[in-house]
Amino acid sequence: MRPRLAFEWLHACSGCEISLLNSGERLLDLLERVEIVHFPLLMDHKYTSQDNGELDLPEADIGLVSGGVASEEQLAVLRAMRRRCRVLISLGTCATHGGIPALRNQWLVAETLGTVFAGDDGRGAVPAAMEGTLDRVSSVDEQVEVDVLVPGCPPRPETIVAVIEALMAGEAPGLAAKSVCDTCPTVRTGKGQRTVRRFLANADFDPKKPVEAMRCLLEQGLLCMGPVTAGGCGGAEAPLCIRARVPCRGCYGPVRENGNPLLDMLNALASNGTDHRTIVDRKSLLRFCGAHGLLKPLKKRG
Amino acid sequence: MNRDGKIIAFCCNWCSYGAADLAGISRLQYPGSIRIIRVMCSGMVHPEMVLHALNKGADGVMIVGCHLGECHYIKGNELALARAEVLTDTLEDFGFESERFRITWVSSSEPELLAEAFRTMSTRLAALRGEDRSESGGGE
Repeated sequence: MRPRLAFEWLHACSGCEISLLNSGERLLDLLERVEIVHFPLLMDHKYTSQDNGELDLPEADIGLVSGGVASEEQLAVLRAMRRRCRVLISLGTCATHGGIPALRNQWLVAETLGTVFAGDDGRGAVPAAMEGTLDRVSSVDEQVEVDVLVPGCPPRPETIVAVIEALMAGEAPGLAAKSVCDTCPTVRTGKGQRTVRRFLANADFDPKKPVEAMRCLLEQGLLCMGPVTAGGCGGAEAPLCIRARVPCRGCYGPVRENGNPLLDMLNALASNGTDHRTIVDRKSLLRFCGAHGLLKPLKKRG
Repeated sequence: MNRDGKIIAFCCNWCSYGAADLAGISRLQYPGSIRIIRVMCSGMVHPEMVLHALNKGADGVMIVGCHLGECHYIKGNELALARAEVLTDTLEDFGFESERFRITWVSSSEPELLAEAFRTMSTRLAALRGEDRSESGGGE
């Protein structure tokens, strides 16, 4: 029997699924070898059991969940996935670290809903569909046990296919544990700037020369999150953003397990003599990692 | 339960831990809520260790090192100071009042100064608790 695959998306944008569909011919090979039993992006499927009308999903050998958990409905679907899947994969940074939606964890739910659904008369106009909103957005592994974490916004198509293939072969999926800096070929001299500037003007580089000839963006005084971010976005080549001559934004989440990119990045800057106060919006260093309690509402002072 | 939350004090081996030792020998009084953790240098205390202590329920955290310019490892306490500035700025981001953290310098011959720093910290945290109580009606 072919291994059964189930895909589910929670608080997600479908980017991770699109990334899988983007894997070209490897996808065709993969489809030959598996049976997809549940994939809301591609096929229509009921979420309720025919016996008792309760929430249920088909049984699967490998389940892939993208997106964080932001509502009670998503939590129930996630728990059904966990019950029904032998191996559960957190796919994408939302599922592994909260991702962009977890940015709302820095406000109370009432504040967020009041801002997003502000009515004309000054009162909130929160739609009924928003009932059951959880007080914070959590990653998948905060709610249920997860077997494999595949970060990335989105993860590389090749990585997703490789993880599925490894699991089908009964092997441990080998995910890189290196940071973006470890995989970055730019020139480092060891002499950084005293300050960090916003990326409003381009980095200094010669477009005719390869990325290997460019000076490290952090050393150019740009806020590049390479030191604290998990690598792998570029495959065997230079990291994706660096290849585009743009500083790393941290979309693969912390390279250290349970790492805190905000604290780690500021600590790295401060330890090297860079003035961390020149960062305009330091909280944005957690833009992909607001789950796991890293972003919290500010305590009101008396 | 004891309302007096624990205060974790990272003391460097060469100056402040010596001062704590001397404070004990000299029978100086300081609050019993202090828990000293000896480290080789204040510069080795990663900000994450401070945040971890607070997340695990410590009331406050102190880093105590040698006076600036007198570090056993030449520049360890300057590094600690740079990291402390990061902490002071970011603790509020993580939901803690910045007063819950303090960095201070004590040489091994200044047990009085250390005991005084401990007492000040304890008073400061008691004031914070008072704030919490009046606001949320009992705290957690």
